[in-house]
Amino acid sequence: MFKRLIAALLLTASTAHAQSVTMAMSSAPTSVDPHYHTFAPNETLDIHIYDRLVERDPQNNLIPGLALSWQLIDDGTWEFKLRPGVKFHDGSEFTAADVAYTFARVPTVVNSPGSFSIYTKTVVAMETPDPYTVRMKTSGIYPLLPVDLTNVFIIPKNLGPAPATEDFNSGKNTAGTGAFRMTSYKSGERVELERNEAWWGPKPHWQHLTIRMIPNDGARTAALLAGDVQLIEFVPTADATRLRTDTRVSLAEIASLRLIYLWLDRSRTGPTPFVTGPNGETLATNPLNDLRVRQALSMAINRPAIVDRVMEGAAYAAGQFVGPGTWGHAPGLNPPTYDVAKAKALLAEAGYPNGFRITLHGPNDRYVNDGKIIQAVGQMWSRIGVQTTVDAITWPNYIARANKQDFSAYLLGWGFSEATNPLRSLVYTFSPAKGWGAVNRGRYSNPGFDALVDRLMTTADEAARETLTIAANRMAMADVALIPLHLQKNIWAMRAGLSFVPRADEDTRVMELRPVAAKPAP
Amino acid sequence: MKEETPFTRFRKEFAESPLAVLGLVVVLIIAALALLAPLITPQNPYDLAQLDIMDGRLAPGAKSADGLTFWLGTDDQGRDMLSGIIYGLRISLGVGIGSAVVAGIIGSSLGLAAAYFGGRLETAIMRLVDLQLSFPAILVALMILAVLGKGVLNVMLAITLVEWARYARTARGAALVERRREYIEAAECLALPRWRLLFRHLLPNCMPPLIVIGTIQIARAITLEATLSFLGLGVPITEPSLGLLIANGYQYMLSGKYWISFYPGIALLTTIVAINLVGDQLRDVLNPRLKR
Repeated sequence: MFKRLIAALLLTASTAHAQSVTMAMSSAPTSVDPHYHTFAPNETLDIHIYDRLVERDPQNNLIPGLALSWQLIDDGTWEFKLRPGVKFHDGSEFTAADVAYTFARVPTVVNSPGSFSIYTKTVVAMETPDPYTVRMKTSGIYPLLPVDLTNVFIIPKNLGPAPATEDFNSGKNTAGTGAFRMTSYKSGERVELERNEAWWGPKPHWQHLTIRMIPNDGARTAALLAGDVQLIEFVPTADATRLRTDTRVSLAEIASLRLIYLWLDRSRTGPTPFVTGPNGETLATNPLNDLRVRQALSMAINRPAIVDRVMEGAAYAAGQFVGPGTWGHAPGLNPPTYDVAKAKALLAEAGYPNGFRITLHGPNDRYVNDGKIIQAVGQMWSRIGVQTTVDAITWPNYIARANKQDFSAYLLGWGFSEATNPLRSLVYTFSPAKGWGAVNRGRYSNPGFDALVDRLMTTADEAARETLTIAANRMAMADVALIPLHLQKNIWAMRAGLSFVPRADEDTRVMELRPVAAKPAP
Repeated sequence: MKEETPFTRFRKEFAESPLAVLGLVVVLIIAALALLAPLITPQNPYDLAQLDIMDGRLAPGAKSADGLTFWLGTDDQGRDMLSGIIYGLRISLGVGIGSAVVAGIIGSSLGLAAAYFGGRLETAIMRLVDLQLSFPAILVALMILAVLGKGVLNVMLAITLVEWARYARTARGAALVERRREYIEAAECLALPRWRLLFRHLLPNCMPPLIVIGTIQIARAITLEATLSFLGLGVPITEPSLGLLIANGYQYMLSGKYWISFYPGIALLTTIVAINLVGDQLRDVLNPRLKR
C-alpha cells in the first residue's frame, strides 16, 4: 500500500516534471513592462510574454512576427500586413489598433531609464486603413524601420490610457500575445509562466516555465549541474571548458554580434602619445597613419592562439564585423593570416626596420578576458619588433580617457543588433551633427567609405543593401580602419537530453528548448 | 667567563625556539631570492617578449617549445610560475617592508609626540587613531586605491595610510610609561632640545614593542597587498605579485589547473608564517614580563 503510494507520487512528480522547466538568467530584468527599459534581460523575459511585428531568426535575419509581410510602398511609407486571428492573453483580438496604441504608449512611459522611443520616433504618422494593415510614415526613406521594429513589443489597447509600469509588474496589465502567460513575478528572484495554448507559433514543449535570476556565474553553473535548473545563459568561458566534458550537460554556442577589436589612433598626424621610436625617442609623425604599419600590426596577431588559449574556444577569430552565416557577412574575408616575417617586412618597408615602442591600453573589467587579451597581443607585437607595454585600466577611467583620444592603441568591444550598425557607428567619419560615427574613437575617416555607407542607408531593397554592406565591410577591412580580433560566442548550457537553438542576439528563448527526440525502444 | 652583552643575550634567547630560527632562516632565504631574482630566474616574467601564449597553462615539469623547463608550470599567459613567484616575492617583500617602515616612522613619531606633549595634540592624534582603527583596513585601502589608481607605489601609500595607526597607539603606550622615568626627567633638567629628547632618549627605549609590531605589520602589509592585488586593485597585470598570480589561477581551480594558484599561495603562506614566527619570538624575547 505504502509502496504503491510512493510509486504513484513519483509518477505524478515525474510527469509534472516533464512539462515544467526552469531557466536561469544571468541578470535580473528591471520590469515586466515591455516598454520600460531597453535592457537585454528585460527583452529575454518579454519575448516569452509578448510578440513583435518583425522577429529575428537565430542568425539575425528578419522574419515575420505579428506582421506577415512588409514593404515600402513609397519613399516615406512602410506598409505592414498583420497576422489575422491572433489573440492576447486577455482574450481580445490583435488588430492594427493595438499597434497604434503601442506606438502612442511607448514615448509616454514614466521614469524610463532607457526609452524605446529610439525605435518608434522615426515613425512620424501612422494609418490603419483596415484592421490588418498598418502604414507607417517616416520623414524620408528609412530602410531600417523593420529592424527597429524587432525591438517593440505589442500590448493590447484594452489596457486603457497610460497603463502604469507597476501594473505590469503586479501582473494586472501583463497581457501579450506571446507563447507564455505570466502568473507571478518576484522582482530580482523569479518569474512563473504558463503556456499560452492559443499561441500562433509552434507550440512550446513546456506547460510551465520558471525563470530564476542567478547573477553569480559559479552559482548558475552549479545550479545546472545540480539539476535545479535545466537551462542557463552566459556560461563563463572558464566553466565552458569543464562543461564540455561533463556528460550531464550539453552546450549550445553561436557567434554573437559582439566584436572585440583594437583601435589605432588616427586623430593625430604628428606624434601620438604612446608611440615612440625604438629607443624611446619622439617620432615626428604618427606611424599608425601608414597602411603598411596597420597591416603589420594586424598580421602579427595570432588570432587562433588568442581564441584557443585566452578565450578557451569561446570566440571566433574575426576578419570583419560579423560572423559567417550572419546578414552582411563578406564571404571569403578571413582574418589576416598570422605571419611574423611578412609583418616585419611591411614595417621595414614603411620605414621602421627596428620597429617602435607602443603602449597598448585596455580595460580589465569590461569584456570577457579583456586584460588577458591585451597581454597576449603585447607578446605578439613584441615579436615583430614593436616593443609593447600593456596597461589595463578599470572601465570608468578607461572609457573616459578613450573618449578623449588619450591612447594610441587600445581595445574595445562593440555589440550591435544588425550588421550596418558598426559601419555607421564605428568607422563612419565622426560626425556629431549627423549622429553617425558616434563611437568612432580611433577617428578613422575615408570619404569613399562614407559615400558607400550613405548609399546603403538609403537603399530599401534588402538584397541590394546587403551587397553594399558587404562592399563597405571589405573596404573598411582593406584599409585596416580597426583591427578586429574576435567575435565572442554566446554560450548556453542545458541538461543532457535537451536541445536548444543558440541565437546571435543573446536572447534566451525557452520556446526553442526541446527534448532531443527519444530513441525508439529496441 | 666572557661578559654577556645585551646582543649576545638576545641572540641566545632568540635561538631557544628552533621554530623561530627556522622562520628566520626561511625569511633570509626568501629575502635572498627576492634580491637576486633577475640573476636566478629562468625567465623575466615581466617582459612580454619572453612569454609565449602557446606555453599557457602548462603543467609543472612541462617544457616550452624552445626547451625551457617550467618546474612549477605556467600561467595563462605562458609565464613561468617559478620566475613569477620569485619576482612576486620581490614585490611582496618590497611593499611589505617599505610600507611597514614608512608607516612605522610616521606612526611612532605621532605616538611619541602624543605621549610626550599630551593635551590637545594627544587628543587629536589619538582620536584620529581610534577613527582609523574602527574602519577595516581593507576597506580604507580599497577606497584609497579607487581614487589613486593602480601601481606598486600607490599600494604602498595605501597600506602606509591604513597601518600607521597601530604604531602610533603602541608608541604612545610605551612612551607614556617611559616619560615618567628618571632619565627623561634628567634630560629635561639639562634643557635638551625637544627633538633630541624625543628621538634620542625616549624613542630608543620604546623600541622593543615597536620592533615587534613592525614584524607583525610587515606580514600584515604583505597580506593586504596580496588581497588588494587579488581583488584587481593592486599591481599592473603585466607585473603580477603573489596576490595577482593567485587571482589569475583562481578561475582555473575547478578545471584542475591547480598550480597557477597553488604555488604562489604556498609561497605567500610560507613567507607570512616565517615572518610571524620570527615576530612571535621577538615579542617573547623583548617582553620583560615574560622574562624567567
